[in-house]
Amino acid sequence: TSSVSANFDLKSYWSTLREEINQKLDEAIPVKYPAQIYESMRYSVLAKGAKRAPPVMCVAACELLGGNRLAAFPTACALEMVHAASLIHDDLPCMDDDPSRRGKPSNHTVFGMDMAILAGDALFPLGFRHIVTHTPTNLVPETQLLRVINEIARAVGSTGMAAGQFVDLEGPANAIEFIQEKKYGEMGECSAVCGGLLAGANDDELQQLRRYGRAVGILYQVVDDVLEAKSSETDIIDYEKQVEKKKGKSYVGVYGVEKAVKVAADLKAEAKKALEGFEKYGEKVLPLYSFVDYAADRSFSFADQV
Amino acid sequence: KIKETQSKFEFDFKSYMLEKANLVNQALDLAVPLKDPIKIHESMRYSLLAGGKRVRPVLCIAACELVGGDGLTAMPAACAVEMIHTMSLMHDDLPCMDNDDFRRGKPTNHMVYGEEIAVLGGDAMLSFAFEHMATATKGVSSDRILRAIGELAKCIGSEGLVAGQVVDICSEGADVGLEHLEFIHLHKTAALLEGSVVLGAILGGGSDGEIEKLRKFARSIGLLFQVVDDILDVTKSSEELGKTAGKDLVSDKTTYPKLLGIEKSREFAEELNKDAQEQLSEFDPRKAAPLIALANYIAYRQN
Repeated sequence: TSSVSANFDLKSYWSTLREEINQKLDEAIPVKYPAQIYESMRYSVLAKGAKRAPPVMCVAACELLGGNRLAAFPTACALEMVHAASLIHDDLPCMDDDPSRRGKPSNHTVFGMDMAILAGDALFPLGFRHIVTHTPTNLVPETQLLRVINEIARAVGSTGMAAGQFVDLEGPANAIEFIQEKKYGEMGECSAVCGGLLAGANDDELQQLRRYGRAVGILYQVVDDVLEAKSSETDIIDYEKQVEKKKGKSYVGVYGVEKAVKVAADLKAEAKKALEGFEKYGEKVLPLYSFVDYAADRSFSFADQV
Repeated sequence: KIKETQSKFEFDFKSYMLEKANLVNQALDLAVPLKDPIKIHESMRYSLLAGGKRVRPVLCIAACELVGGDGLTAMPAACAVEMIHTMSLMHDDLPCMDNDDFRRGKPTNHMVYGEEIAVLGGDAMLSFAFEHMATATKGVSSDRILRAIGELAKCIGSEGLVAGQVVDICSEGADVGLEHLEFIHLHKTAALLEGSVVLGAILGGGSDGEIEKLRKFARSIGLLFQVVDDILDVTKSSEELGKTAGKDLVSDKTTYPKLLGIEKSREFAEELNKDAQEQLSEFDPRKAAPLIALANYIAYRQN
């Protein structure tokens, strides 16, 4: 498959979807009264340079299994909304205390902590509402939509991303695998599985998508950490600061670059292995397949990326 | 006439409330078990199982029964609205919001578990409310469950509960007019009551006409609740209220008595109660009794 995959133009596939998703997100959050809350929600959801990896993975998984991408767009948007909600709250002073995100001031820095709390509280339900009101019912049976809602709620919930954030903040020590799996694997897993659910995937296929999404989600983050470490190696003070801040929070911080590179290779193999059962669908597997390579190699970037 | 109805159902109402609240408490206890990570789930349970009258879940169940449904059908939705109510209080009490150390005589969630857990536990409870409705609702068609989920999401988001909180925060210290005050209460208080009743009616199989009548009912009693609260604050002693009286005057909060005077506020309350009960006039009076009693309870409570 790798020679075929080299011919697949992931960048244009992704760019097209990304533009559509950006537009749909823009339409999904019009500014109404009281404007402050909508501005705050839009600030984070529509942040320039967002790659939209979860929604693209959701749409690609749906199309792989023969679903119509129109069936997947509302859920794809919802993934970005709940993800943004989690990130807004994660950045708060009482949590990670991050004054910036993607090179811009974080939500509470601009709108205040109270608005940041409420923007998150509004984006979670907006995601669920968007799925209910926008998914074409002629394309997806209602029982499947209930499963999608369940999947997303569980992914962000007390045994999913919230659990990852909790252990990240409060320990126990040496829980790096747990943290990475929950904070980053969960969103990837949820995105791929939702795409499958929307296309009516069977249990076996969902299981494979689960493995695939989880591996890609973690892979993406591990590679991010490795790249960050490498780029700051030249500035030793900056590098030490990074390591100190991320101690126990990333593979690089815990095991060093070399081991992290090895972990990334294993995750890449695991993700591709999970796709083996889908090879019977021929070229349709290429988007998900080349997505793995992208997560590992970052072979391109978008013009507006920060 | 209203007083008459009230006395006729008063005893029944009390035991009705107690019985339903007990069922709700049991269901909530089962819905959120202690699991890993223990501390998040402990914090969720701390606030969720802290007592309270369970007015929202009881409204949800009563509305379901009123339109001919089995009350148990609405139990997951009833639990969901209480989870949302609880999480909004957890976040409301945070230092960056209302900064409250105590609620119902107990230290607030962040005082016990820390701010980060109060934020995370609240978020987890918010998403769990939707998960619980999607997975635990039995005996109702999927399209009705989905419709109820959409309705809940609308009532608590930026067009509902959150809108009320935002406008409330933004109008602190400002000159607030009647329309503005009504916006705050209709969103901050009435929206989730509306959601509770409408969810029950949807899951109980109510017709669109019935659902809309009950929606109006809930909006009226939501506003009624706030008007009565404002009146009690200026007319009762701290002893009678069981909490500090005259707080609104001290904090110079805009209230109905401040804008309308006590007498006009009382008239407004009467009117809202009448409007609410009129919405129920076409239902079987026997089945409507719990909701009528609830409206009267809100209108005539002394604390």
